[in-house]
Amino acid sequence: MSPQQLNMAAVGFRNWARALSKGKQTGFSALFSQVRAASGPSKGMLPGPYPKTPEERAAAAKKYNMRVEDYEPIPDNGEGYGDYPQLPDRSQHERDPWYSWDHPDLRRNWGEPIHWDFDMFIRNRVDTSPSPVDWHTMCKHLFGFVGFMLLMFYFGEKFPSYQPVAPKQYPYNNLHLERGGDPEKQPEEVKHFNI
Amino acid sequence: MGAHLARRYITETETEPDPAKPFGFDPEFGFDERKEREMVATQAQMNLAQVPVLQRDYCAHHLIKLMKCKRDNWPNFLACKHERHDWDYCEHQDYVMRMKEYERERRLQMRKKRVEEAQAA
Repeated sequence: MSPQQLNMAAVGFRNWARALSKGKQTGFSALFSQVRAASGPSKGMLPGPYPKTPEERAAAAKKYNMRVEDYEPIPDNGEGYGDYPQLPDRSQHERDPWYSWDHPDLRRNWGEPIHWDFDMFIRNRVDTSPSPVDWHTMCKHLFGFVGFMLLMFYFGEKFPSYQPVAPKQYPYNNLHLERGGDPEKQPEEVKHFNI
Repeated sequence: MGAHLARRYITETETEPDPAKPFGFDPEFGFDERKEREMVATQAQMNLAQVPVLQRDYCAHHLIKLMKCKRDNWPNFLACKHERHDWDYCEHQDYVMRMKEYERERRLQMRKKRVEEAQAA
């Protein structure tokens, strides 16, 4: 490295050391100071506290690129959503697949306000689109089918189907020894005849 | 096909025999003389041939012949047609005997019912 670059590095290091020593935090936390890079959102673009006056509402709506009539913040229940807008809980599956979106995969245009759970509503994840049949019909069909199958299996157990033949006949007293019977014990005599 | 099921479950529920239960009538009843079934393969022979337990029936001697033929003629899997036919025919006759036994049991049950009704009348 040239002497000039070395000097710049030394200046940077000095500034870093100075910031550390001047900062209010001590020890490990001092390394995580709140200095943001200029590449991220500016302070005005970040979410703020829950808007109380109509002017704050208008400013928040403008910040989120929404119309004042459309803007409705998430109700303040102490969970810390601030002034973030309440958008409908509809996943990206429900959006028009044929419209030419700026981001076709996300079905979203540039600058559109992003839902709080947008990462959940992408097309690979949660789908809120309506089912072809309503819930009660689905339940009826499913439980009806399962119940019917259980009933039929029960009847199948109670009234089994079989061929009209007598049981198969085996020699040597129904294979007493082959089936693991006691060789000392005398098995019951089983005789089979031709018919 | 299935007439016996209709008889068993709907029309003649008392007389139609149940194959799961043992048949109660005397085997000699109704016959002048009845020959016993002849078992050709001995237990030792079946053990040596390692015949599966459920195939150690009255046709096991044909099966042992077939197994030997197959073992000797491998890989020619088309070789043992005659032995296979002999075993199949023996098994077929065994099945026909089972059908006849079932029918005999059914007729004896019906006869028993007729006799009881005649006595009750």
